[in-house]
Amino acid sequence: MVEPSWTATTPLSRIYAPGRHGVKNDAARLSMAELTGFELVQVMARRGMWSPTDQACREAYGQAAPAKPQATRAEGALLIWSGPDQIFVLSPRGSSLERARLAFAGMASLSDQSDGRTLLRISGIKARDMLAKVCSLDLHPAVFPAGAAAATSIDHTSVNLWRGEDSAGDDGAAVFYLLVFSTFAESLWHTLLDSGAEYGIAIDAATPWQG
Amino acid sequence: MRIACPFCGPRENSEFSYLGDAKPKRPGPDAGEDAVYEYVYLRDNVAGEMAELWYHGGGCRAWLQVRRNTVTHEILSVEPAAGAGAASVTP
Amino acid sequence: MSAADQTQRLAKGGLIDRSKPLGFSFDGKSFAGYHGDTLASALVANGVRLVGRSFKYHRPRGILTAGSEEPNALVELRTGARREPNTRATTIELYDGLVAASQNRWPSLDFDILSVNQLASPILVAGFYYKTFMWPAKLWEALYEPLIRRAAGLGRAATQSDPDHYEKAWAHCDVLVVGGGPTGLAAALAAGRAGARVILCEEEPTLGGRLLSDGGTIDGLPATDWIAQAADELSAMLDVRIMTRTTLTGAYDHGTHAALERVNDHLPVPPEHQPRQRLWRIVAKRTVVAAGALERPIVFGGNDVPGIMLASAVRTYINRYAATPAKRLALFTNNDDGWKTVDAAIAAGLTVAGVVDARQEASADQRALASKHGFAVLNGVVDHVDGGRKGIGSIEVALAGGARATLEADGLAVSGGWNPSVGLTSQHRGRPKWRDDIAAFVPDGAPPGMSAAGAANGAFLLTDCLREGHSAGAAAAADLGFGGSVGAAPSSDDAPASSLTPLWHVAGKKKAFVDFQNDVTASDIALAAREGFQSVEHLKRYTTLGMATDQGKSSNLQGLAIMAELTGRSIPQTGTTIYRPPYVPVAIGALAGHHRDENFHSVRLTPSHHWAAERGAVFVDTGLWKRAQWYPIKGEKDWLESVTREVKAVRGGVGFCDVSTLGKIDVHGPNAGTFLDRVYINTFSTLAVGKARYGLMLREDGMVYDDGTTSRLAEDHYFLTTTTAKAGLVMQHLEFCRQVLFPELDVQLTSVSDQWAQFSIAGPRTRDLLCEIVDPGEDLSNEGFPFMAAREVLLRGGLKARLFRISFSGEMAFEISVPARFGDALARNMMIAGEQFGVTPYGTEALGVMRVEKGHVAGPELNGMTTAADLGLGKMMSTKKDFIGRVMAGREALVAADRQVVVGIKPVDKARRLRSGAHVIRKGEIPGPDTDGGYVTSVCFSPMLGQWIGLGLVSRGRERIGEIASAHDPLRGEDYEIELCHPVFYDPEGGRQRG
Ligand SMILES: [Zn+2]
Repeated sequence: MVEPSWTATTPLSRIYAPGRHGVKNDAARLSMAELTGFELVQVMARRGMWSPTDQACREAYGQAAPAKPQATRAEGALLIWSGPDQIFVLSPRGSSLERARLAFAGMASLSDQSDGRTLLRISGIKARDMLAKVCSLDLHPAVFPAGAAAATSIDHTSVNLWRGEDSAGDDGAAVFYLLVFSTFAESLWHTLLDSGAEYGIAIDAATPWQG
Repeated sequence: MRIACPFCGPRENSEFSYLGDAKPKRPGPDAGEDAVYEYVYLRDNVAGEMAELWYHGGGCRAWLQVRRNTVTHEILSVEPAAGAGAASVTP
Repeated sequence: MSAADQTQRLAKGGLIDRSKPLGFSFDGKSFAGYHGDTLASALVANGVRLVGRSFKYHRPRGILTAGSEEPNALVELRTGARREPNTRATTIELYDGLVAASQNRWPSLDFDILSVNQLASPILVAGFYYKTFMWPAKLWEALYEPLIRRAAGLGRAATQSDPDHYEKAWAHCDVLVVGGGPTGLAAALAAGRAGARVILCEEEPTLGGRLLSDGGTIDGLPATDWIAQAADELSAMLDVRIMTRTTLTGAYDHGTHAALERVNDHLPVPPEHQPRQRLWRIVAKRTVVAAGALERPIVFGGNDVPGIMLASAVRTYINRYAATPAKRLALFTNNDDGWKTVDAAIAAGLTVAGVVDARQEASADQRALASKHGFAVLNGVVDHVDGGRKGIGSIEVALAGGARATLEADGLAVSGGWNPSVGLTSQHRGRPKWRDDIAAFVPDGAPPGMSAAGAANGAFLLTDCLREGHSAGAAAAADLGFGGSVGAAPSSDDAPASSLTPLWHVAGKKKAFVDFQNDVTASDIALAAREGFQSVEHLKRYTTLGMATDQGKSSNLQGLAIMAELTGRSIPQTGTTIYRPPYVPVAIGALAGHHRDENFHSVRLTPSHHWAAERGAVFVDTGLWKRAQWYPIKGEKDWLESVTREVKAVRGGVGFCDVSTLGKIDVHGPNAGTFLDRVYINTFSTLAVGKARYGLMLREDGMVYDDGTTSRLAEDHYFLTTTTAKAGLVMQHLEFCRQVLFPELDVQLTSVSDQWAQFSIAGPRTRDLLCEIVDPGEDLSNEGFPFMAAREVLLRGGLKARLFRISFSGEMAFEISVPARFGDALARNMMIAGEQFGVTPYGTEALGVMRVEKGHVAGPELNGMTTAADLGLGKMMSTKKDFIGRVMAGREALVAADRQVVVGIKPVDKARRLRSGAHVIRKGEIPGPDTDGGYVTSVCFSPMLGQWIGLGLVSRGRERIGEIASAHDPLRGEDYEIELCHPVFYDPEGGRQRG
């Protein structure tokens, strides 16, 4: 008997090609990367239990559960609004599901979505221009500042989008994160590459989500 | 068109699905066939203000009650369905 | 070819770049032009007058305008796969190597055989097609249509696929300014200074609008300097975006607009990775329409002879492009603005042949100008123009006193006044209102948030445009709470307001064109009036007035005016024309954007997709999914051989199939069981933890909606599956039930479809295979894991999985779920571990065969018109609870004895192939609507029975088991005998799946 080996693949791992894509003559004005190694828990407050859920969140994660479309940095996790009285808890792979179960027992329903979503990072001075081709939201900094989040659709597919801290690099540009349904990820990745090709894309090596 | 989701903010129409008139209420278990027939099939064809059900399936997945003028397309109000989110509703 | 060949090019002046000469060809002949030219201006500079033949009569036509409203100069641009018909020469930016060709002519533009249509013109009048081709109908295909198609039609579309790409994008702003002329620039400056986010759309490649043609002085600066200064100030504002080459084509609800950006139409081939065109959806809180006005022609006999051009267009060609449309120019005007063309002509050194002014005697200034430059000013009208493809022969003038005069000229500039662009403001059915002082309609009833300013609002004086633009921009920003200082409105000291006396039509015998593009004449309007088509909507449809690609921009009002004269009504009484999007034609490619070919829609891939692709699986599109349909192996000659092998391998050993496409929904909460009781016809609240149950959902009208297996994983957690097809819709339906119908139930729903890789493992050796994968500590025996059990198990190697003992194939089977990132590994592990058992991956086709063999219903039977009882599942309907669809399912017609119900069907001749779609008729009856007794829904070749079998929906089917009936298949021309049988063909006792 051969012991089964459990090699994890992500929806992009078979097509992922770090390096340059699209226009190559200038510096890339767009960077994209798949972020791996995360855990994602959907937390949905039970009826009448939003306040206790919020309280539990403060106790377990040191931050209020976002009650409006925002992504909040918390202890060991990012709390992302995903709909009325519901949040995503995004954390590096570990035991976040257990942690969430303990935190929200009896007040919220949890579903593990760690494999149900693929996480992408999009940054660079042309990030907004590229996203404007696929996303109907107004991502102007006055409307969608760092920490803003949204549940919206790309290519008729639901996504969660939020804006992180601006890039520490020399361009200081906005950094966007996109959680997409895993079975759509490859298709969407191609769409994003096509949309950004005219700006020159630096596809960074896939790296684990660091929070 | 654009609908201002009370949870997400203004969004374009392709994020929403339309169900129809929000007025008919599902009859109770003992209401009888005529009441259910009316609930399922009979609709007013309103030219003017109408309460409609829309689903923000391309966003927060909330069901919404939208008051809309079917002639001018003006949207007068958008409210969450009674049971959106964790709202507590006594029957 | 050399730049010197531009015989009609002025030696200096214009906004062209003479340092950049360009070569191009028109109808195979080479010409030269300059950067900054349009195709039309370059043709003018080269003395080309004849640019096309008209649509119906094949009349020779020249350039009428200098803008996107052009009705005549439609050309085929580019060649091969990039050939684009019906492009307007007046908007095509010239590039080196441009190739264009005229349309509607054969064999050549100069000699066009179908111009004999002109001789037949007495019969080709309005309504001709309606009247002539009504009868006999059978001649349509054979005679009329080919005839019409050859005679009419505009250019030819490319026959190859377009090699360029197109895309769509979104933009957002506080204030959208439509038009980059003086009004738009003033509006954008004011709104931008106030602090608003501004988008300024300009159709042309450069800002300036009419200023580029008419010049002027603004705030003491020459117009071009002022434009540059305004553009600099706007560019310096972070939140102002200037979009040139962008036409706003539509205004939709709630501030959504469509705009077409011609990103790379000015280049022969778009740079790599760049689109040719981009369709913008612009969301604006306020919109200022500064789209200007369009000059209108006057209708008179022979008014389409090449060489007759709108007066403003003549100025544009002279002043902006340094190209002279004529050597000897005459003017026909009913207003002062037309006289500007005389000034331009004189300044450019042209000879002025004369001015025909329809108003009164000329002013002293005009007489002085005329005597200084030696031309006549005639008070009267142009009665008609003689001429043809070689241009104007003579201009016959009817003087006010009744005398006649003749002007000799090779160009005639015509001005009938100006029409504000009401295209955008009327797209929401806002009816423009009539203003007598300018004899034109101005915007009224614009959509909320939209206002018009400047010429688009009927203000034709430059200083008024600047003032209105400034105040509209400032007001829009202030309305949104932007309080920055907007500065003073720019101003100009241009000439006083132009006087105008309306003149629409000079009656006469010669053909006088109202709509140039659709060849609608004044006499067509008269015919419509006589025949009672007097309402503007009837007029339009009867004569096709305004129905061409220019939407009648240069014709609607004259048509309306002529109808008003004929019926003794005023123009506003006669009607107004409102517009629909798009303002200018938009290519289908731009509307499709990225969504073509492999990007037609997004694609979903199962977790084992790449593994299956490596094995050479054939994939089938199932909604958005790509699913492995079968896995051919070397030497197999067709799909049937592969599928048959897969079925036999499963039934004789073990196989597996990726079923991750099923919708998967976590149903959580204290009331989850009650909730499911209401959405399913059967009961789930009593389901034990660790058990699965097949469930059926109805719509509220009593018809079956969806089915699937739902397992109870914890007291307050069910795991519900849906069919692949309905996954999204069922989620929406369940959310509706949760939020709208039963908000009192404490239940939460989450789609986990993408979280789990799910495989069906089936066949008598399933357990053997599972034992290789599952931790030995798990009891998979019949006692430890009975039929319909469902629970979490540990796999070898420490991975946790969910195992469900459910069967769709009728075999001993399990479904196994692992987190999706291990789906690929699970498939590979099963192949390795199962090699000893001959494990066989199978696709959707084998899955379908096995379900038909087992009589399981699927999509073809769950067709939205079947009840639970029709499917043989009526007994599942609980009588102890309310559920969606319960009451309506009990309606008389839904429980009638003669309903079509699911039965099995076998051809009597075992060698015969059964086809789905065949009608089921009682033996001996003549097929027809009255005898139709149902149809075959699903078929397959059954490897186990060695023949084709199927399922069908057949009236009174269950009473008729064993009956020999007829299959009638008119589509394929087949009639054959079939036997109606029990739908479960294979292992009817069900022992195999429990074994
Ligand atoms: Zn929403």
